Amino acid sequence: MSYWYPEARPQKQFAAVFDTNKCIACQTCTLACKTTWTSGKGQEYMLWNNVETKPYGFYPLAWDLNLLDMLGGQSWDESGERPVYSGSTIFESAPAGERVLGWRPAEEDYAYANVGEDDCAGQVDGGTSLENSHDMAWFYYMARICNHCTYPACLASCPRGSIYKRPEDGIVLVDQGRCRGYQECVRGCPYKKVFYNAMTGTSEKCIACFPKMELGIQPQCFVNCIGKIRMAGYLNTPENAREDNPLDYLIHIKKVALPLFPQFGLEPNVYYIPPVHVPTSFTGQMFGPGVAKAIETYRSAATDADLAGLLGLFGSSERVMTRWRRIGETITGLDDDGNVLVSVPLREPVHIRPAFDPVQQVTRMNCT
Amino acid sequence: MRHVFLIKMLTAAIALFLSANCGHTVVTTPEVHAIAADRITLDPDDSVWESAPTHIAKLIPQDLVEPRQMAPTTAEVRVKAITKDGQIAFRMEWSDDTQNDAPGPRKPVDAAAVQLPAVIQANAPAPQMGEQGMTVEIAYWRADWQASVNGRPDGIRALHPNASVDHHPYEAKPLENNEEARRRAELRYAPAKALGNVRSGPWEVAFEDLIAEGPGTLTPAPARHTSGIGKWSDTGWAVVFVRPIPNGFSATRPTQVAFAVWEGTHGEAGSRKMRTGWINLLAK
Repeated sequence: MSYWYPEARPQKQFAAVFDTNKCIACQTCTLACKTTWTSGKGQEYMLWNNVETKPYGFYPLAWDLNLLDMLGGQSWDESGERPVYSGSTIFESAPAGERVLGWRPAEEDYAYANVGEDDCAGQVDGGTSLENSHDMAWFYYMARICNHCTYPACLASCPRGSIYKRPEDGIVLVDQGRCRGYQECVRGCPYKKVFYNAMTGTSEKCIACFPKMELGIQPQCFVNCIGKIRMAGYLNTPENAREDNPLDYLIHIKKVALPLFPQFGLEPNVYYIPPVHVPTSFTGQMFGPGVAKAIETYRSAATDADLAGLLGLFGSSERVMTRWRRIGETITGLDDDGNVLVSVPLREPVHIRPAFDPVQQVTRMNCT
Repeated sequence: MRHVFLIKMLTAAIALFLSANCGHTVVTTPEVHAIAADRITLDPDDSVWESAPTHIAKLIPQDLVEPRQMAPTTAEVRVKAITKDGQIAFRMEWSDDTQNDAPGPRKPVDAAAVQLPAVIQANAPAPQMGEQGMTVEIAYWRADWQASVNGRPDGIRALHPNASVDHHPYEAKPLENNEEARRRAELRYAPAKALGNVRSGPWEVAFEDLIAEGPGTLTPAPARHTSGIGKWSDTGWAVVFVRPIPNGFSATRPTQVAFAVWEGTHGEAGSRKMRTGWINLLAK
């Protein structure tokens, strides 16, 4: 694979896993980010974090479709033990005179965030939604932030080196003192997660809440997540994967979380547990050839205490859990020094209240 | 399209007829002649420019470094220069059908630049923004900064009158009577301004002074000294750059000058631009 610069992996890499199956699109993450970072002049339209409904939701409009169309049909060689991408990345497909294959959204492309996107992909006839499990009609919620890619296209696109990847944690930042607002990064980022600020004349992007991460606290969009779909941490390369690193375990060992559009060639570091009810013909294009296996593994969590336990750690602490362990029915998140940050039970206790209350002599709607 | 073409042809013919009958002849020179004038002006419409000859500088696409300008756009820029009391003024004029002075996503603005070697020497720096150890000085003008200088307010509603803004935290009631607290709160959401990035304004002039030692090395100059005015008319832009005369520049010691134009309509910004090579600059 080609890249504009030689490979330079950071000492450790900020990464995350998002469980799409738990997202309810409440947009609390979006607002947590918005109020923290993008409430200034020129930032009105910016959503460093957004949640869109797939397949018809986009921010900005058609951010993924446009590039997929430009890139053309691509394929994976799945004959070996591991699938190998046999197509071209956006770096290898760069036209003459360009550093990457990219495009720039227009102002109006940012104007339709979450407008009219919660529509099913298929016809819902009478009774259908009650009787079958979404094989005719489906959608799902995609929460998106900057992927803090290992091979950032924004960084490669900047002709004056105003974007850098921090060697200490792999977070990708725009140097606001050096940026001159050429918008090359906006053009180059396939995920469209760099935004031009017309009031400061510079481009701005998600900073992975690095002031918090430096203190061992997860970013705003993580700790405010109502659905507890997110876990932030640091990811090793596959050959250095550790079983006691939560992200290594989910991404490299269980392979239940997958990168977003791996065919673009950026090695994005936000990994998604794919939605279980969506046709893999769609999610396969979005998350690569491991989708079916990831869903199978995810579904096995009911009988896999380690996987179920680790998924239960999501949203259980605002601290960054760089290690984890399960002892019996207790799952524990720890920091690098082995300090216990949080412990959760494998199964939350369930209390079933009888429908009929003999004291009050009433029947209530049952609930757990 | 055909009607537009015919109208343009007719307009050009009328202009030619009028200029011929008014006795206006455009004197062109193969170099840029900096004429000693009785005054320096910031105004491109000032009559002092009538005494200066025109150099028609052909523009070529920047196609040496990526991202490149692959297709030619603005064909030429008409240049005049005058000097007076240690100052030199350049007047650049080029055709442009659209006034791109409102910035935004995929909305680069019109811009222009004048480049001079930092030191007058026989062996000039590379014309493409200099080279290591051979600095060039660049005066850069932008249409949106000109609009700010001309009085356009700073804010999204100045660009989009119907924009709906829920809330800017620094406009909260408790900060209303505390200007310093309000300013600090505003800077929290404007890191480029907080860092003193000159791109972020505020703008007293529509110009930025820069130095460079090759593509990608553009840096703010130690001091800001260029001023001037850019004006748009139906035919395009006319921009005057006034800056100190290059050190040592005289009738016996010429130097070089180069020009660049960015056309917002064509998405030009940064290295996507139309430029000249070095052109001899002579003191007359």
